[in-house]
Amino acid sequence: MIEYPEIDRYSSLDSPMHRFDPRAKIIAFSVLIFALVLLYDLKLAFIGLLGSILFLIASKLPFRFVFQHITWVSLFIVPFLVIMPLTVKGEEFFSFYAIRMTREGLEYGMLVALRALSAVILVLPMIATTRFDLTIKALDRLKVPTMLVQMLMFSYRYIFVFAVEFQRTWRAMAARGFTLKMNLYALRTVGKALGTLFVRSYERGDRVYNALRSRGYTGNPRTLVEFRMHARDYILAALIIGFAGSLHIISFVRVI
Amino acid sequence: MREAITVRNLGYRYPDGSKALEDVNMDVYEGERIVIVGPNGAGKTTLMLHLNGILRSTEGGEIELFGKSLEKMKREEIVKEVGMVFQDPDDQLFMPTLFDDIAFGPINLGLKEEEVRERVEKAISIFGLSGYEDRPPHHLSFGEKKKASLAAVMAMEPRILILDEPTANLDPWSRVELIGMINELNAREGITMVIATHDVNAIPELSDRIYALNRTIIEKGTPREIFFDGELLKQNNLDVPDVFKLFEVLRAFGVRCEELPLSLDEAVTGLTKMIETEGGHIHLHVHEHTHEELGKWKRKYEHHS
Repeated sequence: MIEYPEIDRYSSLDSPMHRFDPRAKIIAFSVLIFALVLLYDLKLAFIGLLGSILFLIASKLPFRFVFQHITWVSLFIVPFLVIMPLTVKGEEFFSFYAIRMTREGLEYGMLVALRALSAVILVLPMIATTRFDLTIKALDRLKVPTMLVQMLMFSYRYIFVFAVEFQRTWRAMAARGFTLKMNLYALRTVGKALGTLFVRSYERGDRVYNALRSRGYTGNPRTLVEFRMHARDYILAALIIGFAGSLHIISFVRVI
Repeated sequence: MREAITVRNLGYRYPDGSKALEDVNMDVYEGERIVIVGPNGAGKTTLMLHLNGILRSTEGGEIELFGKSLEKMKREEIVKEVGMVFQDPDDQLFMPTLFDDIAFGPINLGLKEEEVRERVEKAISIFGLSGYEDRPPHHLSFGEKKKASLAAVMAMEPRILILDEPTANLDPWSRVELIGMINELNAREGITMVIATHDVNAIPELSDRIYALNRTIIEKGTPREIFFDGELLKQNNLDVPDVFKLFEVLRAFGVRCEELPLSLDEAVTGLTKMIETEGGHIHLHVHEHTHEELGKWKRKYEHHS
């Protein structure tokens, strides 16, 4: 049995973030994420990161789950911390032969890393605390273009089917003695297996479209769902958006 | 009896130019259970996709549903009349949860939310899927997915149900359960059924009449007429139910069986009758022609082994 990499695995827990209305949650955290990635002050970005961690803690998501998701994204953040100090011009604070590191570069690298890390952390309380189908339905209710919602909906449904199909292909290859090595033959074989998966996906797409049409699909599927905003949803949304706004007000005041 | 589906001179070519269907003619009466048999690549699925208007004939011909030309019917009218259960439930269950999937069809029919919810609840309870409403399809077993596919189509309350290989890949219990459900739908709601299957042991239980298809209709008749046509079976890679073969063997051993049974139920009735008429027992023996008859029997099914 395949272990599905489900983002909503812990959506049945109980926390303030889990109880938060999905529509308000998407809006509030989206505003906060945009506010944090647009900060230009290192100290404020750090406060933003601390705030993000607090929201994450409030979501009660297991550490192991959080760690798994953040580690992979963090790998893309680390290069900024290394490259920026070496490439941005400014006051040198370290030199070793031709290697020169600048304070401005280090600060800029840290700023990029802090902003990215905050955004990645905030995605978890935003998405991992709601069943993914409800997140999709919330996006639909928020009038996100139907084409995007459908792409998300069908991707979510079929990514697991393709994962199983790829696993089956991989097992069939392993059963006939294939082992993955870093040589041209292995890469070519994996390429062919992926190609087969694409062809199968195309054929499945055709069959799914037939199934959709045979149940009256006309390009705009609707779903039934009831969302209800409570006072606590308004308060929590105001708190998150207020936090985002206050960071920018402080930033603005400091510039003046 | 009123005709539910009429197919006249239907022809179809695949986009690569090869012929899939040629001069297909079929009459399905209201409340009937029709099974379409044929070897792989005979065009069974292609024919079924024509019956709900997904494919349109490229070579002429006409299809009528309850006397109305399919060509003149709107898409909504067709999906209201004809429900299709696809072979692979992963093709059919495309929504994020089971509830959404079953609600998908009724919503597209333009029903009010209350009625949609009623239909979903009814379908879920009929097919024994209560408690699974919020599950995504990848968390259902194959048997559950198959039942969910049927529930999703039945929630649209069609008068005609088309099933493509309904028992394929099911475990024995799920297979029996699904056959029971299909027959109950036919008996209780009078739904007309068109079923394509390779499951010969299920055919006697699922069919009133059989159409044998190999690009064109090569034969039609009751299960008994089709299964007794040895030449037809041989030429089209078709098989007969195991119980039928077993009683052919018993005949070679001297059992006086007037009518070969096609299903276990028929076998039980036949055996009981035989034992009653033969004084409380049946007698098996090897006589002078037994080996010759067994040889003939073996040769008859040689191409299947």
